[in-house]
Amino acid sequence: MRIILSIVFLFMLTGARAQLSADDVKTFTLRNGMKILVLEDHSIPNANMYIFYKVGSRNEHPGITGLSHFFEHMMFNGSKKYGPKMFDQTMEKNGGANNAYTSNDLTVYTNWFPSSAIETIFDLEADRISSLTIDSKMVESERGVVLSERSTGLENSPFRLLMENIFATAFQEAPYHWPVIGYEEDIKNWTKEDLEMYFKTYYAPNNAVMVISGDVTVDQVKKLAGKYLEPIPAQPAPKKIHLTEPPQTGERRFVVQKNIPTPVMGVGYHVPDARHGDYYALDLMQNIMASGNSSRLYSALVDKKQLLTFVNMRFGLSFDPSLLMIYGQLTQEADPKLLEEALFAELEKLTREGVTAAELEKAKNQKMMEFYSEFSNINGKSNTIGTYEVYLGDYRKLYDAPKEYAKVTNEDIKRVANQYLRKSNRTVGYVQSKVD
Amino acid sequence: MKKFILYIVLLAVITHSASAQAFKLPAYQKFKLKNGLTVFLMEQHEVPLINMSVLIPAGAVSDARQYGLANMTAQALMHGTKSLSKQELEEQIEFIGANISTFSGLEYSRLTANFAAKDRDKIMKLTRDILLTPSFNSEEFEKEKKNALVNLEQSKQQPRSMLGQFFNVHYYGDHVYSNPPSGTVASVGKLTVADAKAFYEKYYHPEYAAIAVVGDFNTNEMKAMITSLFSGWTKGSMVPVKADAVIRNTGSANVLLVNKEDAKETTFIIGGKGIPRSHPEYVSISVLNTILGGRFTSLLNDELRVNTGLTYGANSGFRATKFLGTFAISTFTASRTTEAAIDKAVEVYKKFLNTGVTEDVLQSGKSYVNGQFPPDYETSGDLANLLTDMFWFEFDEKFINNFQASVNGLTLERSKQLISTYFPKDDLRFVLIGNAGEIREIAKKYGTVREVAITQDVK
Repeated sequence: MRIILSIVFLFMLTGARAQLSADDVKTFTLRNGMKILVLEDHSIPNANMYIFYKVGSRNEHPGITGLSHFFEHMMFNGSKKYGPKMFDQTMEKNGGANNAYTSNDLTVYTNWFPSSAIETIFDLEADRISSLTIDSKMVESERGVVLSERSTGLENSPFRLLMENIFATAFQEAPYHWPVIGYEEDIKNWTKEDLEMYFKTYYAPNNAVMVISGDVTVDQVKKLAGKYLEPIPAQPAPKKIHLTEPPQTGERRFVVQKNIPTPVMGVGYHVPDARHGDYYALDLMQNIMASGNSSRLYSALVDKKQLLTFVNMRFGLSFDPSLLMIYGQLTQEADPKLLEEALFAELEKLTREGVTAAELEKAKNQKMMEFYSEFSNINGKSNTIGTYEVYLGDYRKLYDAPKEYAKVTNEDIKRVANQYLRKSNRTVGYVQSKVD
Repeated sequence: MKKFILYIVLLAVITHSASAQAFKLPAYQKFKLKNGLTVFLMEQHEVPLINMSVLIPAGAVSDARQYGLANMTAQALMHGTKSLSKQELEEQIEFIGANISTFSGLEYSRLTANFAAKDRDKIMKLTRDILLTPSFNSEEFEKEKKNALVNLEQSKQQPRSMLGQFFNVHYYGDHVYSNPPSGTVASVGKLTVADAKAFYEKYYHPEYAAIAVVGDFNTNEMKAMITSLFSGWTKGSMVPVKADAVIRNTGSANVLLVNKEDAKETTFIIGGKGIPRSHPEYVSISVLNTILGGRFTSLLNDELRVNTGLTYGANSGFRATKFLGTFAISTFTASRTTEAAIDKAVEVYKKFLNTGVTEDVLQSGKSYVNGQFPPDYETSGDLANLLTDMFWFEFDEKFINNFQASVNGLTLERSKQLISTYFPKDDLRFVLIGNAGEIREIAKKYGTVREVAITQDVK
């Protein structure tokens, strides 16, 4: 499952609250290379812990597709001190809850707990990072769970199928080609050895970033991290991913069958990774084109021409060059030809004329509100800080974002639109019930 | 994702609780305008934002067979005001990064807004215009309707979005609590803008409504502002629907088999009578449900997911409404393991009914519910919705402030009594959505079967 985190940015506001200053985030790095970020917030007697492991489906290859995600499941199935079921039982007994997700780039583990339980949480995490048990019986039972997860995702939404096919078509060599959940036959076939290799390679303290927000103190976190995590040895850095996607040199298309009342349509354009200089211009362009009912694509395709029931644009942070996607569901009478004409006419207008000053200002206002919303709870705080640290290499970039956005001009938006929204750079696909 | 967080739209899993360090509801003011509008104001200054929640006491229960009318009326409020077209309204709201949205559920309709504190005057005035002088534009209404019809057809291909609704109809029969909030293809197809306007004129009045504003403002200023903006809202003559009628006409078949020919899995729900939201033992009953099916180590998830790998997630929950309520267990599994999964779910539930919980598990459940409680009420948006919920469901801040005491006070002895009193034993109703060709014979094992197609309207 590809999960695109909603990323938000800080804009300067007069009278910004203390909570919103970069200096409130305290960081330190353990001797084994694990970096830890702490943001104290005592508004509720709770805290959370996010651990970002730099491993996702991009680290896989055909034969073990889906292994990162499967591994995420196995991290809950028992380790040396806390055996099978004990991770969850211990956490819940202490008032904590947890979850985890895997994307193309990352595997992220999240714990939410009353702050009084923090030592137990450290003990639980340290135990599974240092000495996970990979039990064959557990592997078999978990295969069933993941097959169910895969099947229920496909059964309940046509968009899962659409996204998987856009990525599979747009990427032919780079590892974003396969879905995060993996191929069904790979899910059934990987071995205990594959899992052991994965654990040793990627689940090392030096391949992880931890973020804690909430009712804790920095000293407390330092002490606990020193006691529980620092003794875990570092591992050699994982091999660099060498496969990159060659430039796309012609439009690609697909059609996939599924029984749905009207087709769903998507377009994907290759765009650069998070650290590329065009990121901010692309991000503002995304807001102007598809954020809200006053956005250009909603106005043209949903409101005026009634070709789609809704339209979204997705563009997020990624380690490798990824996709900017536009997708929606066709209305009852919509003709796909007319839809494409109308959609591409809007994109051409953008490349030709750019955007207005008011549109740029609106996009910046929206980013500011997104930021404050994310920072209105400790969960959003950890998520945002960690995402910046991992994707952009430094959480402080979050606080530099205002400068970066301020620099973006209409010329920049025109330039990125011209550069990336080209016909030969796109993949167009449909999921629909009738196929030839 | 590791955990399927028990999302079945119609099954609000009630796993709230208070924290160990006595989590208290922040101070707020409550007052009534002369026209009867109830107002809640709570200052929160952590971020420079304000959240607003307006509750209108008319939902699908007021649809009177025009299913979907309350919802289409709520949507139509955003189609423009006396002075602004839909497009102008949206441009004004979105330019400053604010959000205003409206929706209607089973029992009430709601408008929510969030905006920067500096934009307070502008957005609150727009909110007033949306609520008091909507234009009911027929062209926009027809567009909205067309999209709603596509969405209704789309839902029919998604077992998990239909499950709760089929269950409601199967359990409540012709009671208004079975009304589908989004309506049906047949009913929505017939709705007109005049219907929405009539519904609005009947139900959108201040005397049974409430407004909560939470966030970065000064209470006195906000009080003056609300008074000036909403005092001109005129009273009506309708009282909210009292949905406390006896449930009848539910049919003799206890198993509803919903055929989805291309289904590769069976999605099912088993349930019966629940409790109203204002039930005095709501918190204790929630703790027991958490143990049965409201967390990852719950009895149901442990057995159906962890021990047997039959599903990605299994859960249970009470859906508490103002007057009645349901309780249900639900999960999904591959078609070929349908029987194994249903049998397991029934077995776990029976064991829970017969043997209850152990002291260890009860302690764990209590601690979990307490620990997970504060984050539910952390943001201004959460608090604004809580205040209007208190108004509608008729509970007060004791729910928050005494939560810990209620949770901690639950004994093993009392647990036993609560389980045998409030978790339904008899007349359990089943809904199975799946490939009927493969599971028809299995369905018969659980009682008398009535079969429908998923493409059919639910009601």
